[in-house]
Amino acid sequence: MDKLSTDKPLPAKPIVSQPVVTQSVVVERSARRAAKAGASSALEVKDLRKSFGAAEALRGVSFSLGSGERVALLGPNGAGKTTLIRCLCGRTRPSGGKIKLFGQTVSRNQSRDLIGWVPQEIALYSDLTTRENLHAFASFHGIERRRRKRQVEWALQWTGLEKRADELVGTFSGGMKRRINLACGVLHEPKILLLDEPTVGVDPQSRQRIFTMLDQLSAGGTSILLTTHHLDEAEQRSDRIVIVDKGKVVCDGTINELVEQTVGASRLVKIKVRRQLESSIDRSEAIDQLMSRPEAIETDSNSEMLSARIDDVAIQLPQLLARVKRRGYEIVNVEVTSPSLHHVFLHLTGHDLRD
Amino acid sequence: MIRSVIETSVRRLLHNRIELMLMFAMPIAFFSIFALIFGSGVAGATKSIKVVVVDEARSPFSERLSDLIRVSTGLRPMRDEDDRPIDRDKAESMVRTGSVAVAIVLRQSTESPRSTPLPVDLLSDSSDPVASQVVSAIVGRALSSAVQPSPVQPDAPENPPVANESPINVIDVMGEGKSNPIVSMYAAGIAVMFLLFNATSGGGALLEERENETLDRLLSTHLSMDELLLGKWFYLSAMGMVQVTLMFLWGQLLFGVNLTGHIDGFIVMTVVTSGAAAAFGLLLATLCKTRGQLNGLSVILILTMSALGGSMVPRYVMSPELREVGLYTFNAWALDGYDKVFWRELPIDTLSPQVAVLLASGFVFLVIARVFAIRWEAN
Repeated sequence: MDKLSTDKPLPAKPIVSQPVVTQSVVVERSARRAAKAGASSALEVKDLRKSFGAAEALRGVSFSLGSGERVALLGPNGAGKTTLIRCLCGRTRPSGGKIKLFGQTVSRNQSRDLIGWVPQEIALYSDLTTRENLHAFASFHGIERRRRKRQVEWALQWTGLEKRADELVGTFSGGMKRRINLACGVLHEPKILLLDEPTVGVDPQSRQRIFTMLDQLSAGGTSILLTTHHLDEAEQRSDRIVIVDKGKVVCDGTINELVEQTVGASRLVKIKVRRQLESSIDRSEAIDQLMSRPEAIETDSNSEMLSARIDDVAIQLPQLLARVKRRGYEIVNVEVTSPSLHHVFLHLTGHDLRD
Repeated sequence: MIRSVIETSVRRLLHNRIELMLMFAMPIAFFSIFALIFGSGVAGATKSIKVVVVDEARSPFSERLSDLIRVSTGLRPMRDEDDRPIDRDKAESMVRTGSVAVAIVLRQSTESPRSTPLPVDLLSDSSDPVASQVVSAIVGRALSSAVQPSPVQPDAPENPPVANESPINVIDVMGEGKSNPIVSMYAAGIAVMFLLFNATSGGGALLEERENETLDRLLSTHLSMDELLLGKWFYLSAMGMVQVTLMFLWGQLLFGVNLTGHIDGFIVMTVVTSGAAAAFGLLLATLCKTRGQLNGLSVILILTMSALGGSMVPRYVMSPELREVGLYTFNAWALDGYDKVFWRELPIDTLSPQVAVLLASGFVFLVIARVFAIRWEAN
């Protein structure tokens, strides 16, 4: 299906008003995926609920995390992401539902060995050195002395902070603190790593470094569940995306699946023309001349940009350009954009990630 | 602009109840406490100085003098528990144990009773200099009254003459032989007050850990809340012991406090006091929500306890009522213990009431702190 519109990114409201799949379908799929994953999952969450008094923070969350899989947990502020992470790492007691690790309901002590948690805050002792912090958290994780020393040396190397090992953490940049924060959560070699906004407030270089570190963990078979506000991070750095809103999973799948399920796979084509569209031209008439489906037209006569949505770039794009030319417009630039996670997010939640 | 700064500051103050209390309620509270201590408190103390009268002379005059002393206002004559006559040694022991502030000993004159006055020894505890001076004045007045012939008793026994020089001899039974006796008392007072401040500040680390999610992280490891609190309690107790020891060592080096001579009692008192102070610090930390709140509350509580408990002003200058109130503070028991060790030089077993109270309060503080800390565990 082709759609022609003005030079605006995919607007939230019109799309939300015509969802491709309903939320209940998404939740059902998510639950099915979780059930299907079953014993092979590193982490399986089933109908997880948490209420704080009358407020329901989690209203039946179900999803799974495969072994070695990297899943991004997205949701607007107050969606229940942090509560979910806290439930998973044992810091918040769920009101209902089940959490299984490697197919089994495990004891608190076992889960502490299997799960590593990296909180959003820099939860370190700023008046200790890097090495001292690592030693302290290694001992809290119950790592015996000899192995502790090995792990600390590994963490220093992994974070690239060997040369700063004996400096106080309080004197470090935000990015360096984040790396140590991360290292303190994986010293005990957990099978599952939960990260709450691991790159918040750090520069692009540090972000890159942190993701390289996570890549190494992933390669080693660690399952990673991370919350983030960076959609690009979620899109590029995760195998799967789970979107939660108002305490429920509203979407669960790979980026392609999410796009397919929600906004559809059509590409947005933006065509810049040399002169302004003639104001005298009747809108539908102009569209009739350009496209075969005039019902989707929205245009601004003063604009030099034309926008259209096409499903098949190889076939429909040449046709579209030919029609524009035939109409007498000289084409200056053509831009084809795939639907992004941002559009999916807007579609599902009705608002921006940071709202 | 200036107005905006003032308005903002006032608004911020109004939102901070602890700061408001520190600014307005604390000065009034402290003024009241010190007014009670130094105002009616001192007067109250002079009305009931505990004394014991020992009549060694056993003459009609000494009996009359003894009776006059016993009915004097401002004194509270004490008796032996078994109502047996008290001799000088027993009286001195009562002063040493703090049962009485002054023992009045009416001595048998070695010379002719007609030529010399009746000598009076006041066995005093110089930690309460006010008491010995007041008792000395009252005894002097009683002596004067006793030597005057009574018109209603024409056949009264002959009075001994009163010499020009004072027959009252004040003997400091406590401070004798001590190089700098009073300093040990102040060392304990200051040490206990700062022990509380440091324990509270150390306990505040728990709140800092909570504020930056370190506490959550710690509790997501194998560390339990019990272990965390006990670890912090041991640490704070040990630091407290080191702190008090350093203070007394410094006192010994520079001010002549006899630490090494009282090392056993010092160790007992320092261990239990540090433990209780550490538990108190943890209790306050778990009670508060933020470090700012803890700072405000600890200043209010510790200063009040120190004022009432004798860390700032010795409790002997307080009225009996205030002294009673002081017993509800941590400081009073700790200072009483150190007082027994360094001042009264009593054997360790006499410390049992203080040790028991401090141990019990430390245990109760820890239990309450643990209960408060439940809210920081998984919710």
